[in-house]
Amino acid sequence: MSTLHSEKAKAFLQDEAYSQWHDNTFWSVRTKRDTMARGLPEWEQLREKASAIKRHTVTHLDEYLDQFATNAEKNGVIVHWAADAAEFNETVYGILKEHGVRKMVKSKSMLTEECEMNPYLEARGIEVVETDLGERIIQLKGQKPSHIVMPAIHLNHDDVGELFEEKGISDEKGNHDPTYLTYRARLSLRNEFLTADAGMTGANFGIAATGDIVVCTNEGNADMSTSCPKLHIAAIGLEKVIPDYECLAVFQRMLCRAGTGQPTTTYTSHFRKARAKDAEMHIILVDNGRSDWVGNPDHWEVLKCIRCGSCMNTCPVYRRSGGYSYSYFIPGPVGINLGMLRNPREHSGNVSACTLCLSCQSVCPVKIDLGDQVYKWRQELRALGAANKGKKALCDAMSLMFGSSGLYRTATAVSPLLNILPHGLVHSGVNPWAEGHEMMEFPKKPFHSIFKDLEKE
Amino acid sequence: MSKKEDILARYRAHVRERFDRPVLDDIQAITYPDPLAQFVRMSQTVGGRVVEAEGNINDLIRKLFPEAKEIASNLPEITIATRNPDTVESARALNGTDVGVIRGCFGVAENGCIWIPQTMKEKAVCFISENLVILLPKDRIVNNMHEAYRQVEFHDYGYGTFISGPSKTADIAQVLVMGAQAARSVTVVLV
Amino acid sequence: MRIGLFIPCYVDAVYPEVGTATWKLLRHLGLDVSYPENQTCCGQPMANAGFESQAVPLARKFEDKFRDFDYIVAPSVSCTAFVRLNYERLLKGHECRTAAKAMDVVEFLHDVVKPTGPLGRFPHKVSLHNSCHGVRELGLSSPSEQNIPAFNKIKDLLALVEGIEVVEPERPDECCGFGGMFSVEEKAVSARMGRDKVLRHIATGAEYVTGPDSACLMHLSGVAKKQGLEIGFKHVVEILAAGL
Repeated sequence: MSTLHSEKAKAFLQDEAYSQWHDNTFWSVRTKRDTMARGLPEWEQLREKASAIKRHTVTHLDEYLDQFATNAEKNGVIVHWAADAAEFNETVYGILKEHGVRKMVKSKSMLTEECEMNPYLEARGIEVVETDLGERIIQLKGQKPSHIVMPAIHLNHDDVGELFEEKGISDEKGNHDPTYLTYRARLSLRNEFLTADAGMTGANFGIAATGDIVVCTNEGNADMSTSCPKLHIAAIGLEKVIPDYECLAVFQRMLCRAGTGQPTTTYTSHFRKARAKDAEMHIILVDNGRSDWVGNPDHWEVLKCIRCGSCMNTCPVYRRSGGYSYSYFIPGPVGINLGMLRNPREHSGNVSACTLCLSCQSVCPVKIDLGDQVYKWRQELRALGAANKGKKALCDAMSLMFGSSGLYRTATAVSPLLNILPHGLVHSGVNPWAEGHEMMEFPKKPFHSIFKDLEKE
Repeated sequence: MSKKEDILARYRAHVRERFDRPVLDDIQAITYPDPLAQFVRMSQTVGGRVVEAEGNINDLIRKLFPEAKEIASNLPEITIATRNPDTVESARALNGTDVGVIRGCFGVAENGCIWIPQTMKEKAVCFISENLVILLPKDRIVNNMHEAYRQVEFHDYGYGTFISGPSKTADIAQVLVMGAQAARSVTVVLV
Repeated sequence: MRIGLFIPCYVDAVYPEVGTATWKLLRHLGLDVSYPENQTCCGQPMANAGFESQAVPLARKFEDKFRDFDYIVAPSVSCTAFVRLNYERLLKGHECRTAAKAMDVVEFLHDVVKPTGPLGRFPHKVSLHNSCHGVRELGLSSPSEQNIPAFNKIKDLLALVEGIEVVEPERPDECCGFGGMFSVEEKAVSARMGRDKVLRHIATGAEYVTGPDSACLMHLSGVAKKQGLEIGFKHVVEILAAGL
């Protein structure tokens, strides 16, 4: 009854040194996040407020989206609406074609990953250059992100060094020092910024009251991407719109503290208008399932997510299995849940990748009940026809045995309980428990037999 | 129906319980006995440098960046500027700037952020310069982002940003490197 | 105050000594405790695996056995948390009198009995294993994720044991990787988490690991033995009752 995730996780763990590095690296981010959280006496109050703002906003999106779009249009921004990924990609392409764009620089956007925009545009002859360093590295490598905030975390400096040599970005062979490699990437990307015809950004927040989009980066690449070209396209999921600056202050304080353990991102940039009279700014509001998800009684709160990545960093399973072990492009606790909303049949294998330790929901800055939702998804697998047969057989057997005191007594008298359970687990006769564990020594008598003597004492 | 109406109708058909907006003015946000001292501390933590203005600002910049050849600014007091972001033909012409000098409105003690509304034709100067100098009135430091967002104002240009320290990345093997795509150093001059 | 002792299935079958220690400890404290016959399982293993409906008959059975007690006390945080947080929903349409009265033995002693005098004697260095469901569902200690004043009810109780030295490992409330069905479905990750946890406990220099849930300890001791790592394992009640 192994899942795709468990098989990939097993392969991930084969490289002992690397998998330990991965675990330690993300734990250190979690630790930095803890230091930040403890640095603010009001941290838990902020989590409450952030959750409440999102609950309010996500359930009033019709009003806030209308207000946001109206204000953006007043600022001269051209607002588009896309029902799904296909419409989004077509819209982007339409704008680029109209402006004769051949090269577009872009900052990080999980939404464009979700819509698989880059391959769509590239197939139509448009060069798309990722400008977040991590995104650029995996783009050159032909890979997808393995973490939503640190997309190239699965590669070490030698991997990147060799890649840069191969692509002609660095010229000192064998120099794999991260400072040097970052500098070489800077030079290469600088040239892209200066020669691109359009710049694209995602958005961390859309502000209904003002029509601003707010983009948070450490590298300044969203600002660089929009400083030279005359065309700016911003891609934003419906759920990213929040009411006003009073609400934004709460999220600005939490996003980076929770995500990377910094007090703020280097840049918190507000884009309100096109950058010049002869320039254009477009905002594309993308639904792609969100207006359906809001109606899911058990899972709508996943829409509160601000994509900080802290649930991944704290997840003991993510840290020990890596982003590529999950079938959905967003990994970890929130990715398990988003994948199930997107396509439960395709992504049901991920819901086993959770011990229900609940660290994710204890960390989450907007208090999404991520672990509890994984539990709920598990209950729904049977109705989706995605339940594991072996697991179901075992649970049937347990239910039968535990349901009858007589059967239970016989079972524990004849043979130790745990011997029976793993046996029922798989019908191959292999005991999966014994692969990772030495079998326990079973007592001569179970407690309910011993108790008879205890009572007499 | 338009796409917008389609999407909003779909949303309205699905949304269930609607939750009220929470009260936010009871947030007990952190304040500091000496906000300026905290601001300076945070600026250094995020990799920035803070200096007190002394004498002529142009002399100070020369002293701080003796090697600088191209200095870009539209501030009237920066007489050593070799480029002006208001008058350059295009943003691209600002490439190769050694030092860009801009003005910040106010600083935020909790995280070293400085509010920079765009006040020049080419905002590129804030990012494309190798080294960025921000002139900041030292009596304009707020405690936290709640206070900050009550003061945010835009100028004619529809852009503004909070900057906290130099551009940075840890995307290669989680090693922190200053100077990713934008300014490699940030010096805050308290005036 | 009538206390019903709930000894979950795996404690009954694999760790009867934990049941014995709990019984002795509660009796030592002069409490009116009884052990209803023919109890089995709370249903947690099936529910966590995605078959909550299989837990419903067990919840009914549990309700029948325990509803008349003032407190239902069990030496297992995850079973207690399952009853407390899920039974009302599982028994929907029927009265549920057990959920609110179910307590893990640690929180029961700490919050209700509040013993002050010396308990057992255990002259050893012990590393504390904070089980996830104890921390994040029952509130036995402050979760490391949250910025709230630090507390730990297990530590408070162990302070009443003579001769003991209590330490905590690095990452004091990171999951050990048991997770019920997780341990066989995600064998590789589970075993790695277990090994990492055992090594951190060993790094404290402790002779024993102690915790409020025998399932975590079963997993950890199985991993430790398989990998030749030496450290002892004791449930918290075994230490509290040592020598009584």
